Amino acid sequence: MNDTTSNLGEVTYTRIYDAPRELVFECMITPEHLTHFWGPVGVSTPLANITLDPRPGGVFETIMVDDASGDEYPSRGVFVEITPPSRLVWTEPDVEGGMTTTSTFNDLGNGRTEVIVHQSNVPEMFRSQEASAGMQSSFDRFATYLTTL
Amino acid sequence: MTTSTITPTTSADDMLSITFAALADPTRRAILARLATGDATVNELAEPFEISLQAVSKHLKVLEQARLISRSKDAQFRPCRLEGDRLEPAVEWIARHRTVWESRLDRLEVHLRNLQNPQHELHRTKPTHKKEPKQ
Repeated sequence: MNDTTSNLGEVTYTRIYDAPRELVFECMITPEHLTHFWGPVGVSTPLANITLDPRPGGVFETIMVDDASGDEYPSRGVFVEITPPSRLVWTEPDVEGGMTTTSTFNDLGNGRTEVIVHQSNVPEMFRSQEASAGMQSSFDRFATYLTTL
Repeated sequence: MTTSTITPTTSADDMLSITFAALADPTRRAILARLATGDATVNELAEPFEISLQAVSKHLKVLEQARLISRSKDAQFRPCRLEGDRLEPAVEWIARHRTVWESRLDRLEVHLRNLQNPQHELHRTKPTHKKEPKQ
């Protein structure tokens, strides 16, 4: 299941997994798990490219590698909060003046878990009503883009 | 809000940061929305806002530095013009970012299934995708 909402900038991804909350949380903070899914399709994240220190202030660094071109995409995060198995927060200071990713893990019972990944400052710009309401001419692309979200 | 002086060495990433920083302010977004309907002078732009001309000028300077607007050098009232193309990298960045996360969460689903049911590793049912209707 998947559900994505966005005001362009503040992005929320919601998924429901048929897996217990502890396991889903564990997957998000363990390099041996992350290496299996961190890179999107066509992109790998080798175990050696994941540095993770699961405590507030600890680093969360990954280098994704494009399978076809070999291009590398480094990302440098710092954990802000780690509350197993319900909440995980990190920031990426390099991204647009500091992007924050908050993952919430909700136990739905029967071994199902809802994961809500919320990102703020992705940029902040698109949060306001007027940002989407007032767009015309050159801003048509935005409107078109909004409808795809 | 800090702004950076643009130098020839400004990288694409830095430029993106400058664009996002410039767009982070609601007044500046409103100014851009107004300019999307046509060129306007500082006075015209200031009209709908309850802020001083000076404050508007300051915002315009930030937008100009981010190259989101341009101002004619010679005309008496130096009308402002929206440079819509400058927004494209920002839009692209968001789209790319979103794709990465969608794919990542899809793969997590597969990984979780494999962890819990290793003998059916190759059996993957198509996940049901629910998409909110858009208006």
